[in-house]
Amino acid sequence: MLLKRICWVFSIVLLASIVAHAAPTKEAGKELFTANCAACHNKNMKDNLTGPALGGMEERWAAYPRADLYSWIRNSQSLISAGHPRAVELWNQWKPVLMNNFTGLTDEQIESIILHVNDVYTAKPLTPVAGTGDTAGGGKGDNSNMWLFGGLALILALLAFALMRIVDNLGNIARVQAGQEPVRRTLVQILTTKGAVAFLVFALTLIFGYKTVDNATRMGREQNYQPDQPVAFSHKLHAGTQKIDCQYCHDGARRSKQSVIPAANTCMNCHSAVKKGTQSGTAEITKIYASIGFDPITNVYIKDYDNWSDKQIEDLYKKWIGQEYMSANSLTAMNDAGRSVVETQWEGVVKALKDDSNGKIQGPIEWVRVHNLPDHAYFNHAQHVAIGQVACQKCHGPVEQMDIVYQYSTLGMGWCINCHRETEVKFEGNDYYKQYERYHQELKDGKRDKVTVSDIGGLECQKCHY
Amino acid sequence: MHHDNGIWVSTEDLNREESFLQSAEKEFSVENIAETDGNWAASRRDFLKLMGFGLGAATLAASCEIPVKKAIPYVTKPDEIVPGVANYFASSFVNGGDYCAILVKTREGRPIKIEGNTGSSVTNGGTSARAQAMVLSLYDTRRIQNAGTIENGEVKKLSWTDLDNKIKGQLQLGGNVRFITNTIISPTAKQALAEFTAAYPNTKVVTYDPVSSAALLAANEQSFGVRGIPNYKFGEADVIVSFGADFLGTWISPLEYAREYAAKRRIKSLKGATMSRHYQVESHMSLTGSNADNRILVKPSEQGAAICALYNEVAALTGGSSIGGPALNDKAKATLKKVAAELTQHRGKSLVVSGSNNVMEQVIVNKINDLLGNINTTVDFSAVNNLRQGNEVEMARLIGEMNAGQVAMAIVWGANPAYELPNAAEFKSAFGKVNTRISFSGNLDETTALCSHAAPAHHPLEAWGDAEPKTGHYSLQQPTIAPLFDTRQAEHSLLEWANSQNLNRQDEQPYYQYLKSHWASDLFAKQNKYATPAAFWDMSLHDGVFEMPPAPRTVSFNAGIALNSGSVNQPGSAEVEISFPETVNIGNGQYAHNPWLQEMPDPVNRTVWGNYLNIPVEWDGINNINGWKDLNDGDNVEVEVKGQKLTCTVVRTFGQMPGTVAIALGGGREIGGCGVGYGLNVNPWLPIQGGLIQYFANEAKVSGKVGEDKNFACVQYHHTMGVKAMGKEEGKVINADEKALGWKGFQGSLTSRSVIFQANLNELPGISETMAEFHEEAQHLNAQTLYPDQTEFYGTGLKWGMYVDLNSCIGCGACQVACVSENNVPVVGKAEVHRHHEMTWLRIDRYFYGDIENPSVVYQPMMCQHCDNAPCENVCPVNATNHSMEGINQMAYNRCIGTRYCANNCPYKVRRFNWLDYTTADTWPGNEERVFWVEGDDKPFYADNLVRMVLNPDVTVRSRGVIEKCSFCVQRIQEGKLTAKRESRAVLDNDIRTACQTACPTGAIVFGNLNNPDSEVNKAREAAGALAYQVLEEVNTRPGVHYSAKIRNANEELS
Repeated sequence: MLLKRICWVFSIVLLASIVAHAAPTKEAGKELFTANCAACHNKNMKDNLTGPALGGMEERWAAYPRADLYSWIRNSQSLISAGHPRAVELWNQWKPVLMNNFTGLTDEQIESIILHVNDVYTAKPLTPVAGTGDTAGGGKGDNSNMWLFGGLALILALLAFALMRIVDNLGNIARVQAGQEPVRRTLVQILTTKGAVAFLVFALTLIFGYKTVDNATRMGREQNYQPDQPVAFSHKLHAGTQKIDCQYCHDGARRSKQSVIPAANTCMNCHSAVKKGTQSGTAEITKIYASIGFDPITNVYIKDYDNWSDKQIEDLYKKWIGQEYMSANSLTAMNDAGRSVVETQWEGVVKALKDDSNGKIQGPIEWVRVHNLPDHAYFNHAQHVAIGQVACQKCHGPVEQMDIVYQYSTLGMGWCINCHRETEVKFEGNDYYKQYERYHQELKDGKRDKVTVSDIGGLECQKCHY
Repeated sequence: MHHDNGIWVSTEDLNREESFLQSAEKEFSVENIAETDGNWAASRRDFLKLMGFGLGAATLAASCEIPVKKAIPYVTKPDEIVPGVANYFASSFVNGGDYCAILVKTREGRPIKIEGNTGSSVTNGGTSARAQAMVLSLYDTRRIQNAGTIENGEVKKLSWTDLDNKIKGQLQLGGNVRFITNTIISPTAKQALAEFTAAYPNTKVVTYDPVSSAALLAANEQSFGVRGIPNYKFGEADVIVSFGADFLGTWISPLEYAREYAAKRRIKSLKGATMSRHYQVESHMSLTGSNADNRILVKPSEQGAAICALYNEVAALTGGSSIGGPALNDKAKATLKKVAAELTQHRGKSLVVSGSNNVMEQVIVNKINDLLGNINTTVDFSAVNNLRQGNEVEMARLIGEMNAGQVAMAIVWGANPAYELPNAAEFKSAFGKVNTRISFSGNLDETTALCSHAAPAHHPLEAWGDAEPKTGHYSLQQPTIAPLFDTRQAEHSLLEWANSQNLNRQDEQPYYQYLKSHWASDLFAKQNKYATPAAFWDMSLHDGVFEMPPAPRTVSFNAGIALNSGSVNQPGSAEVEISFPETVNIGNGQYAHNPWLQEMPDPVNRTVWGNYLNIPVEWDGINNINGWKDLNDGDNVEVEVKGQKLTCTVVRTFGQMPGTVAIALGGGREIGGCGVGYGLNVNPWLPIQGGLIQYFANEAKVSGKVGEDKNFACVQYHHTMGVKAMGKEEGKVINADEKALGWKGFQGSLTSRSVIFQANLNELPGISETMAEFHEEAQHLNAQTLYPDQTEFYGTGLKWGMYVDLNSCIGCGACQVACVSENNVPVVGKAEVHRHHEMTWLRIDRYFYGDIENPSVVYQPMMCQHCDNAPCENVCPVNATNHSMEGINQMAYNRCIGTRYCANNCPYKVRRFNWLDYTTADTWPGNEERVFWVEGDDKPFYADNLVRMVLNPDVTVRSRGVIEKCSFCVQRIQEGKLTAKRESRAVLDNDIRTACQTACPTGAIVFGNLNNPDSEVNKAREAAGALAYQVLEEVNTRPGVHYSAKIRNANEELS
């Protein structure tokens, strides 16, 4: 436990030091790439995504002055309209996909990015690191202290027993000195004394009482709840490895009470280009296509998809899965293994998408809700994310390390209240808080060192219950 | 004047009856269930059974796995939708002649709330209860779900193509086609009708209104040559005389009138305050009458005589010639003489209106306005009001045609003549002779059931449309949800049948394109604000309204017209006359199937679920007030009008003229939804004179008591405060609350409590002094508190507060329905209301004061006062209710264990207990029967998933056994704060408006941050000065809500 924490702190410090370092290096390039380019360009630099693979760009632009590459990155459209041959060539190849303008990037920063691109491009291929033991450990129970308590209890019990023996012996000595027969009590006799029985009853009442109350308050709580989802979507891959910002998909978090499960068309922003998963191939991404009605073979959205029959859908996606299987295995004709892969993957699609109520494959992916607040508790993401600037991980845990998401926190009221007690309100930079004049004065006078959420009413019932 | 102020709520209160003590004590009427209801005989065995089941269930629940929940995203997320964030669309509420410019709040594409659109100069952001409730009717389980033929009152499915072919086939035969509609204010719908008529020249459109203004239209045509309703400027009139026109509640354009009326009567400063003076001439206390400064009582049949009398007096003073007229009661006659004198002193700045449906009466009213110089000033024809266009004379002609077999096809569009017409029986038999009978109605109603084909139209929230409520004031209606069922735009059906070339059937929404091109070709040319049709359309659609300054138009009274007092209604001589008013909630039955409106108490009677016979109260002049004929509320009597007998339930009504009774329209619907079985259909009682429907009858025979309504539901005695009674033991007047509390002389139970302050305009200095003194005295008492000083605590950050201007509140109830809609407040049904179990967080208390026989009324919206020293908070054993540093009295439902101590200790009686699982429709069989259930449904109302779509997802649905109450719309507060935080700025008034505040048509409710000296709420309170007060300030609860004293401008010479 402690070790893990140290590791965490260490990695954060390490990360911070990388960020702070802003020289034109490949490290800085990596940062810049993630922030600016990764949304459209594949980070392996070899495959096309929304935009072309960046690997080898230096060679492709070698015939022109370096400055042309810079201006291409800063404003590609102006270079195209200026009739730059390489720019026009690229445009013809990729239109109508537009590249964003990055007028803010300096030459030095662009060089950093190029350094990073080359570094990745020339490096040996990496297979994604499989999850190690410490990934999903956060919620797996704090058993580490139990043996300590157990040991302590054992020692205390032994001590008590020894003391009792001593008392007995001393009593016997006294008796012997007084000329009486010494009394030797057996263990059974000791354990059945009034005191011991009373203690036992007391202890049991205490334990059962505690357990009853504890279980009662925990009723309906689902910490560590980790249901299987219809799509084997990995946050570890998307948020962890690919470093896609949480709010890119959960775009409600900053402006709504709900963080919003992304619609299938949000997935399509990338997956219209990324058609095969690194871990699952066509098995999972085909589910998105079958939900929204995208034909991955011809790269078009199917018109009138809603009226397609199950057979039509099946034919299309089976063809797609088969085709990809054959190309991956360099086959010219389908084999039995391939047919079985197609069948299995198609069954997976049907299982994930078939709606019980209308029997249709088309339509939304029905995810299993992981975080369930009771109806009488109101929670607003925007308040916490946009105003309180609470990191998602604070409540949701290390999602970027989760292959399958689980409920990290208890989501119990005590847990909420605790945070509201401890968290300092960010008074600076938000004029809304100017109205708390008394607190501002007290801070100024040194009468108070901070204003917590509870000071501005964060513990009041009707902040969450109405 | 003592702050006791002599207010009362009912006869029992006024009589100081001891029975009222018991009633007031019943904060929660826990009649022994076994006693009142045979089905509910609970025994020890039942208790044990439930106990055993409970234990078993708990064990099972504890060992069960938590169910798997799904999170289903969009496939392709629409750009404009962010799950969890509401979208607002500008649209229009149009139902016949009812109009309101609205914003529709949608969540994830689902309309859940109606707000007013401040861009409209007609409604100016105000809403009505009817507009607020429209969102519930969208999720009506009784909606017709597909096109079809109608056999035995059931729709047999037919595809739209088959239906179209059938109807086109019939149309080819070339017989006469007749449309039966209520007022249509949509220019594009009229265009579609014109296309249809061009295709089939044998077509005629017959329009009538559920409550007719045909005489007014005819009179205006005769008097001014304009068949339309002028712009009545209630905001510019210093003296208003209304002959039975309920212009604040139901007459023509009540939202517009109410706003202007209230603005004119707001006390802007204590010095030199002015108000208009409003005389209401009527027999039954209408919503408008309850707001009047002086009510002049005349029998319904004397309205004509009263109009003549006023005319003669005005004519005498202005040099006109007398026309004589029928006899009028002496008191009214003498009063009208004084009124005439006052009117002539305000020439050009006065206004006389009448709700009468007699052409000559309306012509004389026009002449009075003419003599007073009001024509072209307060009666302005520049922008003619289009909200009433119906003429029942044409309807009678149509019945003749149908009977003669001259009509081949009848298309019913938005009308329900088989219920609404007095001669419905005649209509029904004639209608049966029409070969093809088509209904556009979205619900099966009395008329649709008689039709041969159903071509159900979209609900207004699913449909495109436009409206022109006033000339030059255009309003767009846009869909806010895809059609829930296989319905079709009515106009689309018309154009389809007309084989219109202008309807592009290939479009996804053909009528949308049609509407858009009509705006581009027709309206675009009339304006010069936008350069392109696209910009014009986009901006108009965004704003919801488009207004063109009206071209000034002056009219003059037709000199050739002969006034004839012989043509006005002649006074009857019968012992009892009866009138048939329209209520603000259910109209003439058009809204009877909306549970929110059914459960909204009638503002004056405070009855729910049905129409009741209003009978006068009698005062023996000394001590006792009794119901007429010694009848009590809830007694049944037999009433005979025009030879037809009905058994009515009576409710004793202050301000009901002796010798008259009244019963509202709109009850006793037979088909179509939750309104079936509640109240009586009195339309057959309405007389027709000269072809026009009269809303009174000269004679009604009322029997003595014949029975009782077991579930009589009137919220009058529920949740009362500060009422008094004569204690038997004490032999003196005591406070009912005090008696209930069992304490005497305790500070919390003073006999005189500050609930309402009221005064006349000329007493303004006096009342402000009294109130200031009272405030000082209360503050002195409150200063002796043991509680620690909390000024610093509440002074930090935000502190929420509300200000309710009782002078602007007209009691219309829009806020109450808005609150129900915003906060998932359940409907409980009549039987539960009878047991004091209504759940409304905001009630509108109605108090009487003044002359017992003709009292004045003050309405007081009463919601949780969010007391800083809240008595409810310190009695809660589990701290489920407590205070926030923002001054909100918080209620944590999930912590509440239902002891109800808080409700018991609340001096304002605003806490509500969930006796049953009202909203989730409890599956305990015993409870299922008791929660609200629409007759004939197979499950309780809220058990249907369609109905549940109306729930606001930001507000918890409360379960059984917990207390709930007004939260100051805390979900809106939190949302507004978040917006401010995200924009890094202080909270503005605009960020947070409570549901009741936005709904109010007169701006009577203001909400905001008390710690901000510039907030609207502080400004409004300051402006009211000493007139602002806190209810029960003397008991040191320190409420967050301030009220203002009710100021009237009564002519005291008259009373």
